[in-house]
Amino acid sequence: MSADAPVASPDWARPWSDAADGANQDALALDAPQAWAEFSQPVDADALVWQSQLRVEGMRCAACALTVEQTLARLPGVQSVRVSSAARRAAIVWSAQASRPSEWLAAIAKLGYRLSPDVDAGLQRQGQHEARLLLWRWLVAGFCMMQVMMYAYPAYMAEPGTITPDIEQLLRWASWVLSLPVLLFSAQPFFANAWRDLLERRISMDLPVALGLLITFGISSVATFEPQGRWGAEVYFDSLTMFVFFLLSGRWQEGRLRERTAGSLDALMQRLPMTVERRCSDGRFERIAARQLRLGDVLRVLPGQAFVADGELIEGQTQVDESLLSGESRPLHRNRGSAVLAGSYNLQAPVLMQVGSLGQSTRYAQIVALMQQAALDKPRLALLADRVARPFLWTVLALALAVVLLYEDPVRGLMAAVAVLVVTCPCALSLATPSALLASAGWLARQGVLVRRLQALERLTTVDTVLLDKTGTLTEARLGLREITLAPGRKHWSPAQALQAACALAQSSLHPLSRALLIEGQRRWPDAPWAQWRLLNVQELSGQGLQGQTVGDGWPGLQDQLKLGHAEFCGAPSQAQGDQGLQVYLADEQGPIARFEFDEVLREDAQALLAQLGRAGLQVHLVSGDRQASVARLAERLGLAADQLHGQCSPQDKLALLQALQAQGRRVLMIGDGLNDAPVLAQADVSMAVGSSVPLAQAQADVVLPTASLGLILVLREQARRSMRIVRQNLVWAAAYNAVCVPLALTGWLPSWAAGLGMALSSLWVVLNAARLSRPPAMPAPSRA
Amino acid sequence: MDILFLLVPFSVVLALLIVGLLAWAVWSGQFEDVDKEGERILDDQA
Repeated sequence: MSADAPVASPDWARPWSDAADGANQDALALDAPQAWAEFSQPVDADALVWQSQLRVEGMRCAACALTVEQTLARLPGVQSVRVSSAARRAAIVWSAQASRPSEWLAAIAKLGYRLSPDVDAGLQRQGQHEARLLLWRWLVAGFCMMQVMMYAYPAYMAEPGTITPDIEQLLRWASWVLSLPVLLFSAQPFFANAWRDLLERRISMDLPVALGLLITFGISSVATFEPQGRWGAEVYFDSLTMFVFFLLSGRWQEGRLRERTAGSLDALMQRLPMTVERRCSDGRFERIAARQLRLGDVLRVLPGQAFVADGELIEGQTQVDESLLSGESRPLHRNRGSAVLAGSYNLQAPVLMQVGSLGQSTRYAQIVALMQQAALDKPRLALLADRVARPFLWTVLALALAVVLLYEDPVRGLMAAVAVLVVTCPCALSLATPSALLASAGWLARQGVLVRRLQALERLTTVDTVLLDKTGTLTEARLGLREITLAPGRKHWSPAQALQAACALAQSSLHPLSRALLIEGQRRWPDAPWAQWRLLNVQELSGQGLQGQTVGDGWPGLQDQLKLGHAEFCGAPSQAQGDQGLQVYLADEQGPIARFEFDEVLREDAQALLAQLGRAGLQVHLVSGDRQASVARLAERLGLAADQLHGQCSPQDKLALLQALQAQGRRVLMIGDGLNDAPVLAQADVSMAVGSSVPLAQAQADVVLPTASLGLILVLREQARRSMRIVRQNLVWAAAYNAVCVPLALTGWLPSWAAGLGMALSSLWVVLNAARLSRPPAMPAPSRA
Repeated sequence: MDILFLLVPFSVVLALLIVGLLAWAVWSGQFEDVDKEGERILDDQA
């Protein structure tokens, strides 16, 4: 909008350039002391000095963290700053009289980074506490294990008779003392989980682990205190501590992996506190926090901003982008009296809206509720290891009991039972799955695939159907210029000139088609030659197009009024065929010059992905909230049959389709990105969020693909199969080991040192086998099923 | 080998001391950002 607009703008409509200050306005809202409590704590009693936690985005290395630290430290009123580039956080201690948060944000924004308040600091502190506790438990287990092994070494290596009994006793005592911290402190999580399982009458892997630990420690303690007693003098402290150490290693790795994936998701979910402009009773506009809104408030929404509540437009007309809510790829027209939805974006002109529903009753909240319900209904797949472990545990206990009853000599019988329980240590079994899945997840993370839930890797191998979202998943979230057709008779123009003239007009517009023109123009001419061409009176007419007056030289045509927009607006004959919404005309006073046709931009690997999925025998369905026509057009390009298309689907429709497929007994993989996919992502057997997806979708998905390179989906599938192969190998090994050792223990042929050694080695073997998964596959996997 | 009667209990005490030291290290946040300490050497000013 320029100053010479023939139609006077309503006095409530500010010039377009002010929208860029919107971000600065949000920062000013942080200066109010009431806002500080969310991300800061007072350091002294008078609340004059505060400590704040902030997130920093855009830092790529340690030097960036240094720069941020030094810049902030130089600001007046800032007493100390600590920036961590790994955690992407800053802690600032500052004086409330001399410094303001908006100053820090502005100073850092000038450097090119982005600061935002860390409102999750409380949660983060708790997470940090748990992580530190786990780390300490692991370190305790590790050090004690090493020391206990040193004490156990003489018993293994010495010739029988060369160690005097009192030295032996001393070593056993020392091992006992150092095993106490491991059992009482490091192994806490296992005992707590096993106790909880007992109370809930469930069996998970922690129960046999806890049982094994207790029995092993019990027998070894008795042997330490009463070496002449009936239980013998064999101790197993070395196996005990090593076992705890390995299990904790698995847990610690899992925690770090979760932290790493959570870190990249957190960055997307952090925003400045949402502020809106509300009209006061005297007609002025004040900026308030979004959560202070009430029903009936009148808000001003500028182009580029999102609507924060459902409501009705009371003044102005504009186009809105609802693609993240509904999948609709075209902007929709909204007049006075039309409804607007929370979460959609205002594309074109400033408007006034009246708030109709807030919070839980908005459409956004309804989708969230649907998603939470779907998460509860998600089918539970019994994991392979659990299915094997349960009968195994019962068998072992039954065997031990049988041994005790069947032996004539009760003491020897008890000893044999103990040997059975010790040797059938659930080590290998409990480590089999987590070690493999963790190694896989770590390797996948290095390839760019973030696995949020490890069980998804196992479930992925049983999937037989794939549901794909269209907008944003298979297509990039933008339109692309496909063709330029010159009108007959316009000899002075070339397609290139037509595109450049269109770009000149489109510069000031947010409309997706204008953006598409500019992207294509910048791709062809990176130096943007049209930026020097001057235009007067540029106006964007809602629903019709752009127009402006050319001035100065450099223009290909004469001094003229240029128009860019729909067919009728530009005086072109409207086409009977083709999709009206995706054609734009360029015209001057003499008539139409050129027609631009647009299409959705398919991601490059979409075609290959669909071909591979088909070859692998998976059934593919395309579900989209977009109109049937655009879905059909895309399906044609991809070669999908008509029964695989589902257009015009609301979130409930998508969920109903998923439930129908699951009722048929199919296992479904859902790949999506938008808010309307969140319910399906919550209930699908395996779910994947692709690209720059909505934070809510990412929070529900089992796997996140931040770079949207669809080829990685096949890499993931192959890696999941490798993982399950290794898991099965581990389980087979555990079974074989037990099948050999249990009879030996039953008949009393297994010396106790062999039982302990077996326990330790079986764990080691399982872990090393799983470590194979952190290397790339030996051969490039052929694309067979 | 009588010296072992001194050394072994001493090593137990030492191991427990080390574990206590590690606790201090973990809880004072020294393991939070392990990479930063290595890069601190490249800092010009601090």
